[in-house]
Amino acid sequence: MAVAFTQKKSSPWSQTFDWALRFAILAFGIRMMIAVLIGVPMPGKTLFVLPQVTLPDLFVGIRVGGPVTTQRLLSGFDEAILLVALILLFATANSLSNPHSLLRILPKRFYGLGLASVISSSVAPQAARAIVRVRNARRLRGQKSRGLRLWRGIALPVLEDSLERSIDLAASLESRGYGYFPSPTRYRPERWKFNDTMAISGAIYSLLLVIAFANSTLLIPILISFFVLTPVLAS
Amino acid sequence: MITFSNVSLIYPNSERTIVESASFSVNEGEFVLLMGHTGAGKSSVLKLINGLVPHHTGGILTGEISVAGRSTRLLKPGELADVVGIVGQNPTNGFVSDIVEDEIAFGLETLGIAPDVMRKRVEEVLDLLALASLRRRQISELSGGEQQRVAIAAALVTNPKVLLLDEPTSALDPIAAEDVLSILHRLVHDLGLTVIVAEHRLERVIQFVDRIILVHGDGTLELGSTTHILQNSPIAPPLVELARTLQLPEIPLSIREFRKIAPHLENAMQAFQPNSVEKDNEKVLTMKKVFASYQDAERTYALSDINLTINAGEIVALMGRNGAGKTTLLKAAVGQAPITSGEIDISGKNPARLNDQELISYVGYVPQEPTDLLYGHSIQEECELSDRDNAVLSGTTLKMYSELMAIPSLKAHPRDISEGQRLGLALSIILSASPKIVILDEPTRGLDYEAKKVLVANLKRIAHQQQRSVFISTHDVELVADVADRVIFLADGEVIADGTTRQVLTASPAFAPQVAKALPHTQWLTVAEVERHIHEVK
Repeated sequence: MAVAFTQKKSSPWSQTFDWALRFAILAFGIRMMIAVLIGVPMPGKTLFVLPQVTLPDLFVGIRVGGPVTTQRLLSGFDEAILLVALILLFATANSLSNPHSLLRILPKRFYGLGLASVISSSVAPQAARAIVRVRNARRLRGQKSRGLRLWRGIALPVLEDSLERSIDLAASLESRGYGYFPSPTRYRPERWKFNDTMAISGAIYSLLLVIAFANSTLLIPILISFFVLTPVLAS
Repeated sequence: MITFSNVSLIYPNSERTIVESASFSVNEGEFVLLMGHTGAGKSSVLKLINGLVPHHTGGILTGEISVAGRSTRLLKPGELADVVGIVGQNPTNGFVSDIVEDEIAFGLETLGIAPDVMRKRVEEVLDLLALASLRRRQISELSGGEQQRVAIAAALVTNPKVLLLDEPTSALDPIAAEDVLSILHRLVHDLGLTVIVAEHRLERVIQFVDRIILVHGDGTLELGSTTHILQNSPIAPPLVELARTLQLPEIPLSIREFRKIAPHLENAMQAFQPNSVEKDNEKVLTMKKVFASYQDAERTYALSDINLTINAGEIVALMGRNGAGKTTLLKAAVGQAPITSGEIDISGKNPARLNDQELISYVGYVPQEPTDLLYGHSIQEECELSDRDNAVLSGTTLKMYSELMAIPSLKAHPRDISEGQRLGLALSIILSASPKIVILDEPTRGLDYEAKKVLVANLKRIAHQQQRSVFISTHDVELVADVADRVIFLADGEVIADGTTRQVLTASPAFAPQVAKALPHTQWLTVAEVERHIHEVK
């Protein structure tokens, strides 16, 4: 994530990280608001009390408003952080690699799937740029409409633009024989490097350690598996 | 190599047949130009050859098309990938990888070529298109001409027998266009490649091609030798028009041929005395010491120390290589590109400080894609919205539009009308706010000669009769020769020349229009000027 945040923002897909960051902050805010306003009663030190709304009997156990306890805030915070982490992880993966490179790696039988996912994942960053372009052009027309009308006006050319790009990409793939020939080869296949081994094994070890500490009965089998795994990874 | 026998094509929901019982054949190693008005069906014919029409776009095809002995009716475009390569109108949309080398290798990967053969082919193509120094670069960082070369390389790498290109030079400056075309010319000669090019700017391609397919627009196609087609064609480059005006016996295809046919002409016509009227009008746009930087701050200035003025009633053309900073400069003039220092002034106001409503009565901007401005569902609605946006009497925009050109149909959707009509609509929306200066960014990308003539007449009327300024950025030398009073030449973000059209265009051979090249010792730039002179002499 740090890499995604600091890298040069030159390619269209790398800008998605910034958008995702905004989205994550928004999601965090909404989740915390819900944690404060709505929820089941929880024990703990009461911080402050909000006026409580009485709900019909149907919603047993759910409260709107009422006392806000530390426990409730903490559990809300935990879940919100989880949400943020998920969004940012997804965005990091998305912003560090060109969605198009997926096309080259996918095996032939996933041709349709690959094409569809590439087109859908490249629509967002391109649309973001098209929105800026169209909005600027509209300003120079002195467009007065605001709100929904304005967005309807912008959405149309932006959608058309993205659709045209996607069709062009599909035509380009089609006319270059993508998915037609039996066994595609790789130009300069990516070699497995020492750094890759370190990164993968580091990830596996830390995952195992987390499990081990969470559940102490598994500590010994996991420690044993360390010794088994290490030579495998080293080779 | 390519044989059309009795081919007809019609799109569903279309009243017009695109191609009607066309039969012709193109031989191996020929360089053929597809010529025709905008919307006549050039792209469709091109896509028929590799099967994208009808397999990818839909449409009903009858008759038989065979390419290298294979039928495009039975085979899908992907199955023809090893014999036909195609470069679309917007090559950037078709790129699959972000690195030059990977993009070129992609076609070979899908064909399943062995890695060692692949390495060799990629190297060959990199050399052929002079891309070796760019091999590890990001495609998105390259200039338009370089991207076009990458797209051609990616199509060529599979050793196709036929290469199809849709308007390969429309986004390129004259020098980059020349580069691309001479590379194609060399491929035809050295490798025996069959090349078919659809192009509007005939003055750029005509000297390279062997034969022409004229797409009439009513469904008929005519294949003939270049001279034969150009003799009678309604569409012709300035050089051919010049030959017609001078009533030369032959049609010259290149400047060299023209000079061979008409060696005595230069002496017979005395040099043209330009009637230079120094306009001492009010200044509309002034830029003083304007600097602007790129967003990533690593490169040099996008604009560096720009000083210029544009007077009322003047048409000024902004020229320069791809990526010289033309669009940045135009955007700065409407306050949309942030400048780091300097002053911009439009009739006493700073455009960046004006609000949208005030801005449009000072400056009108037609962007590269005029469709970005349009959001109505019909021409009528579009014009009504414009009247409301610009706070003018209802009917103003429509009246403006009808003055510019014949309006297609009030109910037509703005996306269904031709490129020239759309530009006219965008222009009339801008004009109805009666701005002091009208700015156009690359207005002629998809326009044919006819539409360009209409645009030229309109711009002249706006400037010379209504006393507004016109500031236009373009790669189109012939347009500049026709329309501009003054040319500002931009290189690397700096103004390197600023003078009358005649001075600037005749000073550099690459940016000289055909008439100036053909008659180098006179001062003429356009066929119209020569015509006027002949009248005066008589």
